Amino acid sequence: MPLLRTVDLRKDFGGLAAVDGVDFGLEAGTLHALVGPNGCGKSTLFNLISGALAPSGGRVFFDGDEITGLAPHDVARRGIGRKFQVPAVFDALSVARNLAVPAWARDGLAFWRAADTDAPMAALEQVGLAGKRDLPAAELSHGERQWLEIAMLLASRARLLLLDEPTAGMTVTETAATAELIGGLAAAGDVTVLVIEHDMAFLRDLGCPVTVMAKGRILRTGDYAAIRADAEVRELYFGRGR
Amino acid sequence: MAPRWLAGVVFMALAAFPLLAADYWTGQLTRYLIFGLFAMSLSLVWGRAGILCFGQAMFFGIGGYVMAACTMGLVGGALTSSYLGLAAAVLAAAGFAALLGYFLFLGRGLSGAYLAIVTLAIAYILEQTLKSAYTLGADNGLSGVPPIDLGLFGASVELWQETPRYYLVLAIVAAVYAALDRLLASPFGVVLTAMHGDPRRLAFFGYHVLSLRLIVFVIGAAVAGLAGALFVAVDEFASPTLIGFGLSTEVLIWVALGGKEMLLAAFLGAIAVRLMESTFAELLGDFWILALGLVFMVSVVLLPRGLIATPLGRLTSGRHRDGT
Repeated sequence: MPLLRTVDLRKDFGGLAAVDGVDFGLEAGTLHALVGPNGCGKSTLFNLISGALAPSGGRVFFDGDEITGLAPHDVARRGIGRKFQVPAVFDALSVARNLAVPAWARDGLAFWRAADTDAPMAALEQVGLAGKRDLPAAELSHGERQWLEIAMLLASRARLLLLDEPTAGMTVTETAATAELIGGLAAAGDVTVLVIEHDMAFLRDLGCPVTVMAKGRILRTGDYAAIRADAEVRELYFGRGR
Repeated sequence: MAPRWLAGVVFMALAAFPLLAADYWTGQLTRYLIFGLFAMSLSLVWGRAGILCFGQAMFFGIGGYVMAACTMGLVGGALTSSYLGLAAAVLAAAGFAALLGYFLFLGRGLSGAYLAIVTLAIAYILEQTLKSAYTLGADNGLSGVPPIDLGLFGASVELWQETPRYYLVLAIVAAVYAALDRLLASPFGVVLTAMHGDPRRLAFFGYHVLSLRLIVFVIGAAVAGLAGALFVAVDEFASPTLIGFGLSTEVLIWVALGGKEMLLAAFLGAIAVRLMESTFAELLGDFWILALGLVFMVSVVLLPRGLIATPLGRLTSGRHRDGT
């Protein structure tokens, strides 16, 4: 049974079908990429799964339970962690505290104990930010903020990570490091990762199955090489006549 | 958050004050301490949780009227204990905030400027209602509120002298400050800072943001209600001005001038503005309000973190960079 499954999922925005009957499944412990041109519905699909939007039709299942239309905090508590396209970290807090906040969401929030001692350091080491634990998050570079947000998802012990363009705004070196990081997470088998991405080099580095979306529907699913060679996908990305 | 040694210095200095000053000023400062406590409640709600409550005086006024009604025997002749009055005042203010917050946050999802306008309007409505509530003295308010009586089991220890009353109020204010300081240093306090920065990110980690806001709102109201109850017992008078528009905007100015994100700065902001008011109001006449307004505008533009919080922050910088 897949960890995540959507059945005929739909979302209409005033007559425009942003997501138009998507059936999608994701096995536990796998890494999968979602690609498609702007407006193809992949971010809307993330919003429907994570509870940011309520679907117009269809159903979403996670780990055997129906989660259709649940509020974001309810979806998160079940173990789905979402990374936003523009890195969302807590600028006013130190790096260590940024990790403590999602950990408390799972472990319970104390009102009367000093917060000083808490910091899930393992997640920080995984993303290579262990040396910056006491720095305010506001002082990190753009790429480091992206990694910090991924570490925050790990600290929350989410089982499914939805990563929306995790390499947006990164340098080539940073992008390669991110591919290695995400590949490592999935290979360890602790988490399942669904990643939205535009960067073709990054997709090649990830080397995972790819699903292509267009106009709110799933167009193709296959490995990187097959997708790269697919005539219809090439036309979608590069236009006719190429 | 101000370091603990700094708070210690401030409260020690306040404790030394009656030894150096005349009784009149001790009496005045007792009231200013209470306004400072009230300012702390708004600093928590507005500065730390980002809830724009522009009608915070409604909780101060509810606390004041409940205290007055209890201790004057309007509720029941046998229930005039100061302890009961204080407890009822805190519970009434917190209860009203829970009800209001439930409808405004959870029901209507109000936040930002809309919440500011609605809370200000509610404070105004409560003020108008009290002005025509004859059982509560209407426009004249309730005069002859008994002083705080610390006696137990029939014995009576009324605090009507300036100095003992001052120390009781100071002890309560210091205890509430210490409790709030501890709350803000806990994981809950860190999460409040996170919520102020990015509530959406917090929700997607599994936090129910509206419940967090409701909890802070209720704690803030309880503190404001306690301040209102202490005030009527010290002033021996409860009037509709305690609950309304005027005091709600005054506390905003105290907190903004002092520094809304630092409880200690907001507390000192209230005391400083009231001290200056009693010194300059006579001298400047109506120009006092103009001068205060100008200082307020200059501070908002040049020192948005507050006239007191900015230097205090510099004094202690380096150790509290994560804003908690």
